[in-house]
Amino acid sequence: MSRFKIANIIAYGFVTLFSIYVLMPILVMVLTTFKSKREIFLEPLGIPSQFGISSFEKALTVGLGSFMLNSFIVSFFAVFLIVTISGMAAYVLSRIDFKINKFVYLLVVAGFAIPPAAVLVPLYTMVSNLNLLNSLFGVIMPLTAFGIPFTVILFYAFFLDFPKEVEEAATIDGCTKLQIFFRIIVPLSGPVIASAAIFQTVWIWNEFLLALIMLTSDDFKTLPIGLLKLRGEWTSDWGAIMAGLTIAVIPVLIVFLIFQKYFVRSLAGLGK
Amino acid sequence: MNKNNTQINSFSLSNDKVSATILLVPALIFCTIFIFIPAIGTIVGSFYSYSLTSMNNWKWVGFGNYVKATQDEYFWVALKNNFIIVFASIVLQVGVGTILAAILDRGIKYGRVIFRTIIFTPMVISSVAVSLIWLIIYDPNVGILNAIVKSIGLSTPSKGWLGDPNISIWMIMITAAWQNTGFMMVLILAGLQGVSKEVYDAAEIDGATGVKAFWYITLPMIRNVLIVAILITTIGAFKVFEFIFVFTQGGPSNATQVLGTYIYLQAFNLLHMGYANALSVILLIIALFLGWLQLKSSRKA
Repeated sequence: MSRFKIANIIAYGFVTLFSIYVLMPILVMVLTTFKSKREIFLEPLGIPSQFGISSFEKALTVGLGSFMLNSFIVSFFAVFLIVTISGMAAYVLSRIDFKINKFVYLLVVAGFAIPPAAVLVPLYTMVSNLNLLNSLFGVIMPLTAFGIPFTVILFYAFFLDFPKEVEEAATIDGCTKLQIFFRIIVPLSGPVIASAAIFQTVWIWNEFLLALIMLTSDDFKTLPIGLLKLRGEWTSDWGAIMAGLTIAVIPVLIVFLIFQKYFVRSLAGLGK
Repeated sequence: MNKNNTQINSFSLSNDKVSATILLVPALIFCTIFIFIPAIGTIVGSFYSYSLTSMNNWKWVGFGNYVKATQDEYFWVALKNNFIIVFASIVLQVGVGTILAAILDRGIKYGRVIFRTIIFTPMVISSVAVSLIWLIIYDPNVGILNAIVKSIGLSTPSKGWLGDPNISIWMIMITAAWQNTGFMMVLILAGLQGVSKEVYDAAEIDGATGVKAFWYITLPMIRNVLIVAILITTIGAFKVFEFIFVFTQGGPSNATQVLGTYIYLQAFNLLHMGYANALSVILLIIALFLGWLQLKSSRKA
């Protein structure tokens, strides 16, 4: 019995300690925002004596609102394109016996493996030659491409398990594959669409490398790139930097807490 | 009747092909233009010497860029750092993630959802924000890490936590683990929840409980999930960029470079496009090898 208790204490102790390790930096971020400069230097472990908002005012001067808007536009369009295009392609791969299907699937897996860093120079050259540097369109297009392979794999697994009887009935009624896809498959694919959209939104909202090389003008920077400006502008004014991060991070955390069940489900499905 | 049927079939078959092509083509176009053509461009470009400013002035150098890489000590440092990050990530993220998942699955009764939610949270924060938050923790003047270490009577590193490459690589690992362990935990937890209760009951009859049951019965049963977790972590470790970009910029004197940051440095700071391409090809080969491993393991599963 006592052995059981000790194991129990160790189990709770371990997850509690790990949770503290996870929460501590977020707490530091929020508390530093409200501290005075003096408190930041003299009492790193203390709590702020008053809740000043001057740090927030400084942080907003770097243009966080516009960075967020850009991130929102990029995420919205790229995720919409990724989910639509991937769903269509995965359906074909899972239903129609083309001889090239196996080859296409291999291409998809290869596309999934290739990281943006491995094609950085030609991609930059291409976008630059198309005069699309410093445009949101120029980032949305390659990000869409890099999101497609993984999403195709996700949809493919879902469509394979999809009951075929409904489609067979529709085929007998004379529906084309195109009609079947949009009228029957799409309406019944809610859960997998949600999973794919959540996963890709998290990825694109946070994507850094491609946005870094393509968006150099402040007007077009997305949030991850824009956040670097906090450090450039407010070098050692940690209050201002942390205020900027708080503004950027807290809305995402709130969205996450509301939808956490779906986030977890969407990512947990990866292992299957 | 029969004749009619054949007609419908042949009609819908050609129709199917049209539909299928319409549905498949957009994905192929996107991936071809933005992934496969640039991948070929990387390979071709790796045999030339050129810079951003002289785009039209390509000079054929054969395998020169690859020879240069083998003689470039910083390339080897970057590759070594990537491998350190791979192994440390597997231990820290998959290892600790497995322990956390096991505890949440059967080790505790209360607060499972709360613990899971907290530990998973950093996953949704952008790596740049994560790096900037940890930057203040590691700061030698205002950081709480210094404050904590001093308060328990230990001395802090003289060059700061990020100034000495032997220390900063571990600070990068701690930050990466902070962000990604929750993801591994959730992934492995999903695998554990697929193990049926009967298995544990049978194990208990045989006298295997607690840690013993976990080691001998549960782990082998979630082998496939663990392989996926290790592969995702390995691929992620080769993609590491933001933490290093924000913490050290690859310095001091390139000691904390990884392939990603070193490619970026060669291409966009030094404008050695050909050389950056050769380094990219090496990353490409590693990435495709890992992709092939993943394909193989998922087929087995």
